[in-house]
Amino acid sequence: MTETPAAPAPPTPRAPGFLQASLRIMDLSIGQMLWSRRTIFMALVVCGPVVIALVIRLITSLGVPTRINGAAMTGPAIFGLMIWIFYLRFTVPVLGVFYGTALIADEVDDKTITYLFTRPIPRGAVLVGKYLAYLVATGFVVLPSVALVYLLIVPINGSLGTSFLAFVKDLVLLAVGLAVYGALFAFIGAWFKRPLLIGLIFVFGWEQAALAFPGYLKRFTVAYYLQGLVPHAMPQDSVLSLVQAIVRQTPSLGSAVLWLIVIWVVTLYLASRMVERREYVLDQ
Amino acid sequence: MPIHDQSYRRYGGHREALGRAWTVIAWAGIRSMIGKRKFLALLIFAWIPFIVRAVQIYIAANFPQASILAPTAETFRQFIEQQGVFVFFVTIYVGAGLIANDRRANALQIYLSKPLMRVEYIAGKLAVLMAFLLLVTWVPGILLLLLQVLFAGSFSFLRANLFLFPALTLASFLQVIVASFTMLALSSLSNSSRYVAILYAGAVFFTEAMFGALTAITGSTAVSWVSFSANLAQVVDVIFRLKPRYDTPVPVSLLVIVALIALSISVLERRVRGVEVVT
Repeated sequence: MTETPAAPAPPTPRAPGFLQASLRIMDLSIGQMLWSRRTIFMALVVCGPVVIALVIRLITSLGVPTRINGAAMTGPAIFGLMIWIFYLRFTVPVLGVFYGTALIADEVDDKTITYLFTRPIPRGAVLVGKYLAYLVATGFVVLPSVALVYLLIVPINGSLGTSFLAFVKDLVLLAVGLAVYGALFAFIGAWFKRPLLIGLIFVFGWEQAALAFPGYLKRFTVAYYLQGLVPHAMPQDSVLSLVQAIVRQTPSLGSAVLWLIVIWVVTLYLASRMVERREYVLDQ
Repeated sequence: MPIHDQSYRRYGGHREALGRAWTVIAWAGIRSMIGKRKFLALLIFAWIPFIVRAVQIYIAANFPQASILAPTAETFRQFIEQQGVFVFFVTIYVGAGLIANDRRANALQIYLSKPLMRVEYIAGKLAVLMAFLLLVTWVPGILLLLLQVLFAGSFSFLRANLFLFPALTLASFLQVIVASFTMLALSSLSNSSRYVAILYAGAVFFTEAMFGALTAITGSTAVSWVSFSANLAQVVDVIFRLKPRYDTPVPVSLLVIVALIALSISVLERRVRGVEVVT
């Protein structure tokens, strides 16, 4: 009797590397992020400025001029104002807090983080993948909203061509804001058990207060560096913004970009490291 | 090894009288929050403005050179306004999970299977939030008024500003009721306390941003009725006998506040049910 040689075992597939694993997690998470009730919130947040822009456009098309204290206001000026008030001060930080803190906290709350951690991929890749999905999801919703506002508002006593460069700068600025705030709050979300309140205190408490004080305090905020890159004049629509405008110092372009990159890289690295090392205890 | 009797036993505890069961929920909620160290830290932090104002009143009462610091009715109005930021954070900390966590744990059905009316459940939850909010608005406000009398050693300020007691009470309760009802309604809409928290923050700051943008574009504050906090500020100014800060008529701001409370009650009425009938 002759023994038939055993078929060679199929080679064990190699575990994906960090980048490949991150991209797989991103692929998995984008759908979850876009088709969830969070999208309703995000849609509401980004639809508000578009609706206002539409109303302003309709009013001006009826021949009513937009005037402040008797002075006519141009479309590019209104657009700059909306970028400041709606996007830089509200949408970008709020979406950063909301999604950034939820990247890991959601999985912990739903007790599904175990399933992700049992995959043969680095734990840090889970966070980075989810972070990339956050960037894509928010970018695809926020940036088109800005583009719509631009197309509706800027033609009012203005030209799309001449303000196009400022518009591109705005898009880049908002993308950078989403990236930096997202990384910061991903770190906070990976670190703390109840990260949302800390995130809200940072954005609406610390950042607002620090920007209203003279001296170096404002350098410990993201808004200081982000607002330093805005190509539009800062509006003074409240007492707080008036005080912030009085004590405002604008960092140089190089310094602002450098610090934003530092904050982004360091917080994302720390968040990834935190997820790698931390033992998440799930509530029973 | 003892074998415990697991069969049916009659309830041996004390049953609250009809309409008093909400106090059980309220006390349980208050006790649970007081047990959290981070929350206590937030409460202590919320009392710092009180200490600063108390020092201001002390100096004004004892050092004639510092008469510029002497309190006026506006000082108390400013104090209530300053506490707004703590009202926001306490509302989120305490209120976001009040109903959302019960919904998440399917505890609403258990609650409402007891001799407890829906109104009592809502009142109990509302009492938890209102108790802490009053602790950072009304209590320090009234204590400041009391301190003024004690430090000055005379009733002359109180006599001259007798309206301050009802004004502080009305303004604090208005602020607290609006925040509590809104948060509770939002909490009943979701199973996730984090989603509720961000919805509340979004509602407050988005309406504020809309008001800011519309003010800047139109050059008028007549659109202040779109903002959650501007409506409150407008009405509270009138309560303190000050000139309203925005161009919106005060009845309009009051109407928006009343509509917001009515909407919240309607949401609570629809969402807090023991059994969800799916058709």
